[in-house]
Amino acid sequence: MKQQAAGVRPWYRGAVGCGLLAGLATLIQMGALAWVVDDVVSNQATLGDVAIGVALIVIAIAARALAQWGQEVCGQACGLRVKQQVRARLLVRLQQLGPVRLASRHSAGLASQLVDQVESLEGYYSRFLPQMVLAALIPLVYLVVVFWLNWLAAIWLLIAAPLIPLFMALIGMGAQRLNEAQFQAVTRLSGHFLDRVRGIATLQLFGLAERSVEEVSEVAHDYRRRSLKTLRVAFLSSAVLEFFAAVSVAVVAIYIGLGLLGYIQYGPAEQLDLFSGLFILLLAPEFFQPLRTLSQHYHDRASALGAAEGLVSLLEPDADEAAPAECDRSDKTASRELVPGAVELVNVELRHAGRERILGPLSLRIDTGEVVALIGPSGSGKSSLLQLIAGFIAPSAGQVEVRRDPAIAWLDQRPLIIQGTLADNLRLVAPDASDESLRNALTQAGLGQWLASAPGGLETPLGERGVGLSGGEGQRLALARVFLSPARLVLLDEPTAALDPETEQHVIAGLTQLAASGRTLIVATHHPAIMAMAGRVFAIEQGRLSRVERSADARETNS
Amino acid sequence: MKALLSLRPWLGVLAERRGRLLLGAVLMLATLLSALGLLSLSGWFITATAIAAVSASGYLDVFTPGGGIRFFAVSRTVSRYLERLYNHDTILRLLADLRGRVFARLVTLDARTLARARASQWLNRLTADIDTLDNLYLRLLAPPLVALISILAFAAFAAAFLPIAGIVLLAVLLPLGLVATAGCAWWGWRASHRRVDRQERLRVRAIEQVEGLAELTSYRALDAHRALWHREERALLDDQRRLGQRTATGNLVVTVGIQLATLAVLLLGLEAFRSGQVSGPVMVMLALGTLAVSEGLGNLPMAFTQLGATVRAAERLNAQAELKTPLTGERLTSGGAAPSLSYRNVEVAHGARVVFSGLNLSLDPGQRIGIIGASGIGKSTLAQLAVRAFDPQGGRVEFDHQDIAGLAPDSLRARIGYLTQRSELFHDTLAANLRMGDPDASDAQLWDALERVELKAWAEALPEGLETWVGEQGRQLSGGQARRVALARVMLRDSPLVILDEPLSGLDAATAASLATTLDAWLAGRTALLLGHDEAALPRCDRYWRLVPGKQGTQLLG
Repeated sequence: MKQQAAGVRPWYRGAVGCGLLAGLATLIQMGALAWVVDDVVSNQATLGDVAIGVALIVIAIAARALAQWGQEVCGQACGLRVKQQVRARLLVRLQQLGPVRLASRHSAGLASQLVDQVESLEGYYSRFLPQMVLAALIPLVYLVVVFWLNWLAAIWLLIAAPLIPLFMALIGMGAQRLNEAQFQAVTRLSGHFLDRVRGIATLQLFGLAERSVEEVSEVAHDYRRRSLKTLRVAFLSSAVLEFFAAVSVAVVAIYIGLGLLGYIQYGPAEQLDLFSGLFILLLAPEFFQPLRTLSQHYHDRASALGAAEGLVSLLEPDADEAAPAECDRSDKTASRELVPGAVELVNVELRHAGRERILGPLSLRIDTGEVVALIGPSGSGKSSLLQLIAGFIAPSAGQVEVRRDPAIAWLDQRPLIIQGTLADNLRLVAPDASDESLRNALTQAGLGQWLASAPGGLETPLGERGVGLSGGEGQRLALARVFLSPARLVLLDEPTAALDPETEQHVIAGLTQLAASGRTLIVATHHPAIMAMAGRVFAIEQGRLSRVERSADARETNS
Repeated sequence: MKALLSLRPWLGVLAERRGRLLLGAVLMLATLLSALGLLSLSGWFITATAIAAVSASGYLDVFTPGGGIRFFAVSRTVSRYLERLYNHDTILRLLADLRGRVFARLVTLDARTLARARASQWLNRLTADIDTLDNLYLRLLAPPLVALISILAFAAFAAAFLPIAGIVLLAVLLPLGLVATAGCAWWGWRASHRRVDRQERLRVRAIEQVEGLAELTSYRALDAHRALWHREERALLDDQRRLGQRTATGNLVVTVGIQLATLAVLLLGLEAFRSGQVSGPVMVMLALGTLAVSEGLGNLPMAFTQLGATVRAAERLNAQAELKTPLTGERLTSGGAAPSLSYRNVEVAHGARVVFSGLNLSLDPGQRIGIIGASGIGKSTLAQLAVRAFDPQGGRVEFDHQDIAGLAPDSLRARIGYLTQRSELFHDTLAANLRMGDPDASDAQLWDALERVELKAWAEALPEGLETWVGEQGRQLSGGQARRVALARVMLRDSPLVILDEPLSGLDAATAASLATTLDAWLAGRTALLLGHDEAALPRCDRYWRLVPGKQGTQLLG
């Protein structure tokens, strides 16, 4: 987290500089105030006599307010930049992790890390860090002044001061641990909610609505109890500080009062007058003010550290992660020899941690323009093989050689539908495509009629998870993307799983077109028509590939 | 001003805990008054001792003010700690209750209303929006009130010594309070009102990027999607910067105002002291007191520039409350024998699109009917009508000759086992997902159910068996496994009426064929409505109907 500070140093320094200026202006203001009061009370001066002092006070007030403004604005600029940097790094990291490893994580939890937890870093960089420097410097300046006025009063302040960071450090450590626990709870809470909200229709069907309300409320109360534990400790740290600050002010006030009365014979008490006494009294609360502000921002620190913990663990590589780098390397060295659209697997093996299933060892070469069907019972590893070829997972052994340029077309079982128009959803894969080619792609995917009846045409808005589209329509939209994309290699995972026979015919005709245009198609499927279309069909059994031979008739009628 | 009305229902919720809130505000006031007492009494004491030292008598009662100073020092700490802890407990209690209440309202909504709202927007309503509302009491209601009371009290106190000082205090601090509250709220309104939605949009983009990473990376479309993300992010950061600058400016105005008020009271006091109207100690006390009492204004600009965000959160929560009223009805009383199901002249339209107009279909007790039709033609609509996910615009659906529009949805659904087209699994264990079908099922019954859908061997091989977590929406399972888990869940329900929507989709041919046989036996003696795109995609049925597009919506052909 410290490294983040590098890019924002000027703003950080600006915030500290402005804070120091504000502290000095406060010193001048209080000094002038004490002088004016002393002159009028002790020397019976008129207001005209103290006009210079009053003017000085006004100038100091203005300078102080402006410097505080500068501190806030610089600090915020610093915080905003850090958030931007961290988010950029997290996005890169998500890309590195890849879709398969992300599948085991809760997308809402990740989104809340990316948006809300990063949000909670701001206070640390914009307020806490600059204030930490100020809390050390400003009291020191005031202490020197008080020491010069009356060294014994300075000692009263000094006795209380070093205890404060000590107490705060002790309490802060506890608060941080609790904060981390709380962030975990928030992430779990949001995951739990999203899951239950998405499934409300199912909960209703099973008559579990009331029970899940209780459950949701219980999780929320659990969150409350955790929060409260954190707060109890967080507040204790500021209470300790407040206590010392208040007692110090009281002790200084009583010491000065008694000193002025001449009750104290020891030390510099006799030299006290109204000016020095009042000045010290005015500085005493200001002496503690930067520390008090720091403790108010302690919450920022604790929540930032709690969030950072989760963010760092997301950013740091896992144990089983050496593999993707290997995959990249093989990609670079070998793929130059391959034509776009061709695929070569050499002695590939795959093991899923904690699962029985093992893929391989298997070797396979697929040439550009081939149509290959993969069949096998569900869970046999068809999807895993496609994921290997797409580069989402790295083989545990062996090599996967694919050229990823210009792109690979991928049809997911759960297609992505982004919030935006129909055109936005299609142009994602071909940013420069004309409206005409969008329409063509939709027609090829069997969405021609749907488009004709859509009120806004290509500008019809689609929502998250495809509101306004049925399951089959969503899948056809994903197919339209395949048609639109310039990719030479097309990976399809059960493209006809949710389609009716009529649309299915559209789709199969479209796939035939794709194959005829020289694209390579690798399809995981149960569908006889697609199997018939394929040049080669492989069955996956116990992780091994075996060629399925079909009668020559079947191939001829379909090729 | 009108926008503030959207806070009304939430103020009502706060009012339910008014005792706690009042006590919290009293604690806040006690803290502020202690600080006021500490600083002003110390000022008074020092000045008094200085004067006593130079005057002839040289005597001053030091014990009473000394004790007062010590008392205020302790009371400030104690009341501040109690106040913060007590108020945060209140707020969190309120928030936890609110979350449950919002969710309780969501689960009573019908399927079509649910489809209109989007999942992660709801998540945001449930957590962020409700969290944003905690500003209402702790930052927006209590502090200005406490500041107002303490300013009025101190002005009255000052006026007792020096009337003009009291008047000046009110003349400066009250307008300043108005600037710090209404002024800052107005100034930050647009940016903060927008911020809630912008943050929400960024979150949606994040979810898209996570869930669609497979497609985005293979199509090399990640950069295109990043550009969308960056646009949302920049808009959010711009708003935050604007708000930060306005808050800083609000703080500047308040600081200058407070300090000038203190200076004014001091100068008035000095003048009055010279004319003998007030004593020296009182003069100093009033000036320092002004400084202390103004502390209450310090945090207001920050809180009020964010007022727009609080109101926006309230608006969104209110909008959700205005979604349709839940369906109700009488409890279903007929027994557990296989019922009849009939659709009579049913009319359904999705917006402008007519789905059914005058549709008739009946299932006799124990009869098994297959409905064949293309996707999107209305098969799932038939199923949703039967479980009263929503009511048809015209005609009626009868369960055992009772119009279901008059039946309580829960009691109706308790008789129906409905396998939806999408296998909806929860981020929970395999066992918990299965037990949704029958909460009292023993482990042995769960294993039986898994055996029937041919998942027993697979589940036994899992290291954690029934306690394996299935992942978000069952993503740790393959599509076919998820389908069969969902089917096992419906079978555990053991209901007299069964509706299966594409029960064999996503399964390989061998598994599909053997499951069709299993289902054929299991469905015996139950009334069943089976929906599929093809006769071959369904277990054997007594009779098949075909749904085809017609001039007036979808028609049934024998």
